[in-house]
Amino acid sequence: MVKVIIYPTNSLILSDLVERFGHKPIAMMEKIKEKISTVSVDSPPLNITPEEPKMGLKYAAVEVPAGVRGRMAIVGPMIEEAQAGIIVNDSPMAFGCMGCARTNELTKYLIRQREMPILEVDYPREGNDEEAKGFVYKIAEFLKSLPGDEEEDKA
Amino acid sequence: MSQGQNDTLTKIVVISSDSVLPIDAAMRIYQSDTNIVIKETCFGTMVTGPRDAVNRVVREVVDLDRNHIFVKERGFLPGDERRCRSSRGGGPRPGFHYLRHEVQMLPTIGKALDAYDRKAPLKEIGSKKKLDVDKLEDMIKSEL
Amino acid sequence: MSDKSVVKVALVSCGSEYAGVHKELESVAKSVDAKLVFPEIDVSSLDTIGRDFGIEAASPDLRLMMARAKAVVEGITDVDGVFITSCFRCAEAAIVRNELRRYIHKHSDIPVISYSFTERTTAATLMTRMEALTTIARRKHLLAREHQTGLTAGIDSGSTTTKAVVMKDDKILGTGWVPTIKVIESATEAFDKALEQAGVRREDIQAIGTTGYGRFLVGEHFNAQLVQEEITVNSKGAVYLANKQKGPATVIDIGGMDNKAISVDDGIPGMFTMGGICAGASGRFLDMTAKRLGVDITELGALAVKGMQNKVDMNSYCIVFGIQSLVNSLAKGATPEDVAAAACHSVVEQIFEQQLQEVDVKEPLILVGGSSLIEGVPKALSELLKIEVLVPPNSHMIGAVGSALLASGFVEE
Repeated sequence: MVKVIIYPTNSLILSDLVERFGHKPIAMMEKIKEKISTVSVDSPPLNITPEEPKMGLKYAAVEVPAGVRGRMAIVGPMIEEAQAGIIVNDSPMAFGCMGCARTNELTKYLIRQREMPILEVDYPREGNDEEAKGFVYKIAEFLKSLPGDEEEDKA
Repeated sequence: MSQGQNDTLTKIVVISSDSVLPIDAAMRIYQSDTNIVIKETCFGTMVTGPRDAVNRVVREVVDLDRNHIFVKERGFLPGDERRCRSSRGGGPRPGFHYLRHEVQMLPTIGKALDAYDRKAPLKEIGSKKKLDVDKLEDMIKSEL
Repeated sequence: MSDKSVVKVALVSCGSEYAGVHKELESVAKSVDAKLVFPEIDVSSLDTIGRDFGIEAASPDLRLMMARAKAVVEGITDVDGVFITSCFRCAEAAIVRNELRRYIHKHSDIPVISYSFTERTTAATLMTRMEALTTIARRKHLLAREHQTGLTAGIDSGSTTTKAVVMKDDKILGTGWVPTIKVIESATEAFDKALEQAGVRREDIQAIGTTGYGRFLVGEHFNAQLVQEEITVNSKGAVYLANKQKGPATVIDIGGMDNKAISVDDGIPGMFTMGGICAGASGRFLDMTAKRLGVDITELGALAVKGMQNKVDMNSYCIVFGIQSLVNSLAKGATPEDVAAAACHSVVEQIFEQQLQEVDVKEPLILVGGSSLIEGVPKALSELLKIEVLVPPNSHMIGAVGSALLASGFVEE
């Protein structure tokens, strides 16, 4: 079982596929859950405070806007934690929360800089079942190629 | 970090099945564990409870039609006042729109998973490369 | 390359022509005997450079920057240095600029500087940076020096104080520290003090290096072998004094009137910013606070470490309004300790927020300059950046030590 970062970082389909093939998705939802369950912080809705953009300075300079750095404060550690990655390119705006373009450019770049197995796959075109098949096949084969653990739950 | 085995977890289960209806899934969950709270929405069923129990129940539901039931973790608990429109007024949380969009793709993904299980061969897919500018120019000239 | 040849600098830029500052870039290059060139690229690579390099930037000109940087790294264009520049406030450019700088730095040993310009950027603004870039290209052998050898002296003619050291074989024999009144006289006084403490005569000194605002005048007066801007000298001096000469380091120099943040690798400066626009981000702010508290500047640090900065509401970093907030808070029950802590925090926070934008803060973080002696300053910086801050011995003599170290390169020549 390896930790696989997905991009877009909160896609239902990617998260499901990673888990379905026996790995742990590194996705935004879990990190948001950690944030919002921190009882000592009260900064609704996401419990992100002005401290996060400062933490984001690790990934982007001050000249990069606060919202990008605030996002990077969450996404940056996810990239560092990952042992493999799946990037879906050219996806529609609403495939996973697409968020901020600048953050996305930096996120994809930083994933690509990691020395780990990475799959880049294009989003299938509308009405093209064969492309959708290719999309799923590539992801499935990639996930199967990663070291597994038969004891793992496939919830 | 929410790595503890018995922290509270919310998973959203999206049914895209011809054989299993959302109500079937809900019934299965109702029967399974008393510690679990579920909320049915337009796009799926949210299952909240202790991590182990949620994972177990969700696995049972997915097994009803493996390739056509999809699951992901959710950050907020159902009805969280910071996010839920019932307390905030106005439209839905941002993730709602995205989920609604992604759900439309699930039948295609389900079919592809079925094909993958059957080991159906994959046809060659044409490239999505942009047309070369010179070729475009030739085409324009040939039309003139 | 020799000290005299023209330095070829690759211009990796976006927007400079349309921002109206291109002429300034050309002009500053010319003044330090450098030439700006556009690296040659294959146009078809622009369609794929996003994926190839990794950043799928929306702006085609930023993609062009990536292609040009790649050409430099792959040796398609032969250059001695790289100047990466783009518009200030463009978020995408800031991301691309930073990553390109890291990329060139990682995959080549070509020195690189980056800068974000506005339409007000002038050649003068860029002067020290370009001077440092060409120095790194021309004098690499000098910057590789890790030990001070022979009997050398360094004089740092700063705007507020003049510092001098006499060194022999990695040991400081004598120091001199005087307020700058008249450049030559103050330098002579500081130098004489250092010589006296070291117990050596001026004619025994084998090489002299000068730096700081008055470096040219002082250098000429003492026939210095090395006259060098303070970016190069201070980075070298900081890693030398902190014994962190290998690998990355960040040097922050909070002086009496301006400050510098320099990102250093193997003792060679990579990125840097220079302050000087706002007194609130300088040692002068601390000086004023000490006066208002009725304590000597040397006592402010000890007070600050005992105080709690969050007990004081400061609405401004400004040297006028910020200090007014400090004084008002005394009336509301804050202690002088709290005020001293808040003052240190204010200076450091402004530097952090407004000046570290071009610099990768990588550990170890070495704090130098007069303000590093005020204990509250390294403490505030450490709390803010959440990393350990190193203040090396003789941190206030940084420029003089760096000059003496680099000058020893001329002893053997």
